[in-house]
Amino acid sequence: MGRPAPLPTIPRSRRFSLPPVMKGTACEGCGALPAADLLAELLGPKMAVICPASCAATFSLSYTNASWAVPFVHWIFESAPAAATGLRHAYDARGMRDVQVVCFAGDSGTLDIGFQALSGAASRNENILYICYDNEVAMNTQGQATSSSPVRARTPTTPGGVPTLKKDAPRIMAAHGVPYVATAAVSHLADYRAKLKRAARVRGFRYLHVLSPCPIAWGYPHDQTIEVTRAAVETGMWMLYEITDGRMKISYRPKRRRPVREYLALQRRFAHLGRREAQRLQKRVDESWRATP
Amino acid sequence: MTGSVEVVYRGIFQKHLGQRITRGIVLAAVKEGKVGISFGRYGDSPERNGIPAKSFAVVADNEEELQAHLARYEPSNNDVTVAVDDTLCKGVESWAWYGLQPINKLTRAGGTVLATSMQSPEELLKDCHRKDAEWNLAVIKAIPSFSGLWVYKDDHTDVRILGAIARLAPHVVKLESIEAAIRQEWGDELKVTSARKAYERVEARKVRPDEGNSEKPYEFQLPKWWEMKEGLVIPGIPVQQEVEGWNGGYRPGRNPTFKKFSTRTMRPVVDFEICTKCTLCWLQCPDSCFDVTPSGHYDANMEACCGCGVCEAVCPVENCITMVNEAAFDDNASQFEMYEKEKDTYKTWLKGKIEDKVVTFRSHGFRYRGQYEEELAQMAAGGQLHSGVQSINEEPGAGPG
Repeated sequence: MGRPAPLPTIPRSRRFSLPPVMKGTACEGCGALPAADLLAELLGPKMAVICPASCAATFSLSYTNASWAVPFVHWIFESAPAAATGLRHAYDARGMRDVQVVCFAGDSGTLDIGFQALSGAASRNENILYICYDNEVAMNTQGQATSSSPVRARTPTTPGGVPTLKKDAPRIMAAHGVPYVATAAVSHLADYRAKLKRAARVRGFRYLHVLSPCPIAWGYPHDQTIEVTRAAVETGMWMLYEITDGRMKISYRPKRRRPVREYLALQRRFAHLGRREAQRLQKRVDESWRATP
Repeated sequence: MTGSVEVVYRGIFQKHLGQRITRGIVLAAVKEGKVGISFGRYGDSPERNGIPAKSFAVVADNEEELQAHLARYEPSNNDVTVAVDDTLCKGVESWAWYGLQPINKLTRAGGTVLATSMQSPEELLKDCHRKDAEWNLAVIKAIPSFSGLWVYKDDHTDVRILGAIARLAPHVVKLESIEAAIRQEWGDELKVTSARKAYERVEARKVRPDEGNSEKPYEFQLPKWWEMKEGLVIPGIPVQQEVEGWNGGYRPGRNPTFKKFSTRTMRPVVDFEICTKCTLCWLQCPDSCFDVTPSGHYDANMEACCGCGVCEAVCPVENCITMVNEAAFDDNASQFEMYEKEKDTYKTWLKGKIEDKVVTFRSHGFRYRGQYEEELAQMAAGGQLHSGVQSINEEPGAGPG
């Protein structure tokens, strides 16, 4: 036996740090789990997590056990950032300034129901880290559309496709003038890791938006979670960038963007789209890339 | 007199299927002048992908009897327990933290467990836990239907099960009323024929109390209210479990009250010989099911694996990780320990399991129109299918032999 063999791609220290989160009752191929995993691994024991109602809250807690090895609060839907504010000030009052207070919320708890509390905490520039794992539907309640659902995607509440554009949450948050805003995806873990690290060093309100697909709502076979996320990034549908003090920087620019229809074809929720609509989406993606610095 | 049927199904994949079966029973009972209700188990909602869930149908002669039967969480004396996927015979673990419930636990003495499976009753019996009383095991020979959430796969599994229930528990529903209910609900004569055929063909086998899997089902004690800490505080799980003799190995902390023994329909088998230790499976596994062994290999721990197949999809080495039908396995033992002990035996075992994959093709629902036809063709090519669809059976090379 003796010494363990060195690992080629990951530093050895990493090997003993994955993951404080252990999995309860998430679905097969869940995209939120990798997002939670890396967060727990990087920030480690010096962290307190607040989670509003979401799939993450469901798989994090049971009657007998908490899945996180750190203080974890299951909060109501509307006001997780407000609760995090309170927790932050309590820690500060006790002199525990090195503890990170983290909100881990779904897109519905962030952009629809929890938005006023989030906006409030951001404009006060509270010293908390907010992570939104975005599966683009309210999946814990069987898949209703949220304002984060992409345009034309089919959901149980919008059988003809979502008529409105996806709310551009990271830029709305950046418009609050917070010091750090970034987007990430669960297929690009090194990128997500670097952003988490950077966010942990910044003081003030930090917002991370992680694309974490849901095999049920998106309608793809559950072994394809990583493939689908990668396709979202490489077709340009999901942009990886960070906004530090108002300056936007693209952190991953695909060498040649794959056509958007490749991403659409992977998912059942876009199966009703015709070629013209796919072209329209392609045009929108092209325009948004042209507008980037 | 009341009668009840429970349908155990895989959450979300088979949701519509489970609902259609229990609904069909109640519709048929109404044709006989009885009253009935079909409902899902509250603790299963919101349903999770692949995690077992239940749907019930209770039938009674009058309102009072029905009410008396409903004053409990789930019917505990079922005449028939239907497992619409044969791997559910290994047990039912709802995500509401009850521990592992044997498939026949809520079946009454002398009742029947009915499964759709390509396995023989004897093979299936190896998975089912023992029961104190005598019970029956019936099998409808069919490929388990994963109807999926987006598209309902109409392969007549629902009506065949209804027909079989009429044979196994005639005091709950009779065949004539089942036929009438199918005509009323779906208006399809072919479905009526399917139900009748299943009625004729299904055969139950008596199971003695000393037959079946002797393993004690996994269970745990919930803390009492006076044992819990003040302010609804519950303890977190330790990050890492020490493994004796694993110098340098690592096993992440896992949920002590929820195991994924019954969530899987597939299972990864790893060829440790050709593994390059690239870490991708371990890194990308959503459930962190891989243990890091002292030699740096990654061993899928069956306690935490839910069979999603992400590891197979991200593995860069061809044929290193293969997803195999869960029905081909009888235990949850560590593959790496087997490999360490006897490398040649492991290789033979691995080859056998991978070959099994060709025979027991599995898919989880449909993504586009026409996929069922494709699947039928694939099954015919694999020698699984030999009836029903004319055009496929006529093609060269179709059918067994």
